[in-house]
Amino acid sequence: MSDDGFLRVADVSKWYGDEQVLHDVSFEMDRGDVTVLIGPSGSGKSTMLRCVNRLAEAQEGSILLDGEEVLSPDLDVNDLRREVGMVFQGFNLFAHLTAVGNVALGPRRVLGLSEAAARERAEAQLERVGLGDQFDSYPAELSGGQQQRVGIARALAMEPKLLLFDEPTSALDPELIGEVLEVMHGLVDEGMTMLVVTHEMSFAREVADEIVFLDDGRVVERGPPDQLFERPERERTGRFLERIASHD
Amino acid sequence: MAAGWTVALAAVESAAAGAPPIGGAPAIIGDAADWEFVFRNADYLGVGVLLTVGLTVASILLGFVVGFPAGAVEVYGGGYLKRAVNAAGVVLRGTPIVVILIVMYFVVGVPQINLGVVSISSAVTAGILGLGLRSAAYQSQIFRASLASVDAGQLEAGRSIGLSRLEAVRYVVVPQALRRSIPGFQNEFTIVLKDTSIVFAIGLAELLTRGYDLFSERTTAVLEVILFISAIYFVLTFTTNRALDYLGDYYAIPEGESA
Repeated sequence: MSDDGFLRVADVSKWYGDEQVLHDVSFEMDRGDVTVLIGPSGSGKSTMLRCVNRLAEAQEGSILLDGEEVLSPDLDVNDLRREVGMVFQGFNLFAHLTAVGNVALGPRRVLGLSEAAARERAEAQLERVGLGDQFDSYPAELSGGQQQRVGIARALAMEPKLLLFDEPTSALDPELIGEVLEVMHGLVDEGMTMLVVTHEMSFAREVADEIVFLDDGRVVERGPPDQLFERPERERTGRFLERIASHD
Repeated sequence: MAAGWTVALAAVESAAAGAPPIGGAPAIIGDAADWEFVFRNADYLGVGVLLTVGLTVASILLGFVVGFPAGAVEVYGGGYLKRAVNAAGVVLRGTPIVVILIVMYFVVGVPQINLGVVSISSAVTAGILGLGLRSAAYQSQIFRASLASVDAGQLEAGRSIGLSRLEAVRYVVVPQALRRSIPGFQNEFTIVLKDTSIVFAIGLAELLTRGYDLFSERTTAVLEVILFISAIYFVLTFTTNRALDYLGDYYAIPEGESA
């Protein structure tokens, strides 16, 4: 690892009302790294992810992206999100727009590309996720796997320097998960920097540079997948992985 | 309605052919019917139609221009603005339209508006303001509901690609909300059209009031006048509703929810 400190999450804490959902969460990523957040539901991993692009607000701590403080009140969140893409569990495709329309909206309205240039870029990104034949389909006309691939293309079209995945396959029928993971594998091969929340342990094991295990809003353990999966240091990590494995 | 027309046409034909009286027939057909009286006064009623249509169009437009932002403020706004909009809506929806019109005309005292080619009398201005603002209060609720019905994930996804809140609402939420507003808007249009008749309270004679004037003059033609006027209202509401149906179908999201 080059240790360039591309993303440094330090002592991030967050409360919903009186309830603390994140306790001093810390981890680092380098450019081109894939970090996977795992943990039981309600452990705060999605919330942590959403703090990185400020869809959720952390009250304490620091998140440095490329040396810039993400949590600074002076930061323009729209500038931040231009550079940090997000893929949602429920796809959240714009229901009234075609696949091309979904992917082109950001380039058109945020980056200010012309209609034609935005469309061209959208088509290229849809080709990239294997949807070259679905340009003019509406979300409701696509399968879940296709919809999620449009979601990935939509994030990619902004040419982000970091991609966030919030349980991208959790809402999919089992037979549709593969096509989405395949696209994600491709992005890993291209060197995309990715922070992923997922329950797909085999995917995590294969592509992650580091796994961060969260429970109850705390980082219980983090490390390279081999170490974490084979020789977890904490008993809680072992128990969680056993439980997950028994469902695989 | 179709039966009414058939009867009406038959009556017109028999009158034109100088047909003999039909004894014991209802008053709307045969010699006793006074369709000739209705048609002789068609131009008088026609002016009423123009006023009805003009008031409706202007009021619906004013209602949209004011009501849509008001609905958006109720969903996305906060603080004093939201409270003020909400309070204005409650007052307007809770006040009888006759009272609103009388307040506009006699209390607010809106002036005559001169647009060069046409001048709009102060009564018409008051009518448009009264009907339009009340419609805004109702339309705001149509749009409030449809904006709020769009899944929160849509706005969030828009924000996630770097759109500002306003842009995300404009490009992502509003297009979906407008589609869902069409059925409610059809109702509102129909209600405003028929409620234009209440401008009689400020001395304006639109379609229904002119009809009333006519059958006051000749009480034997009450049914004919009422039927004729109803037919006009029906044609206006029916064609407009079909046009909005068409609009809804045209913009419907394929395979998705219909608008």
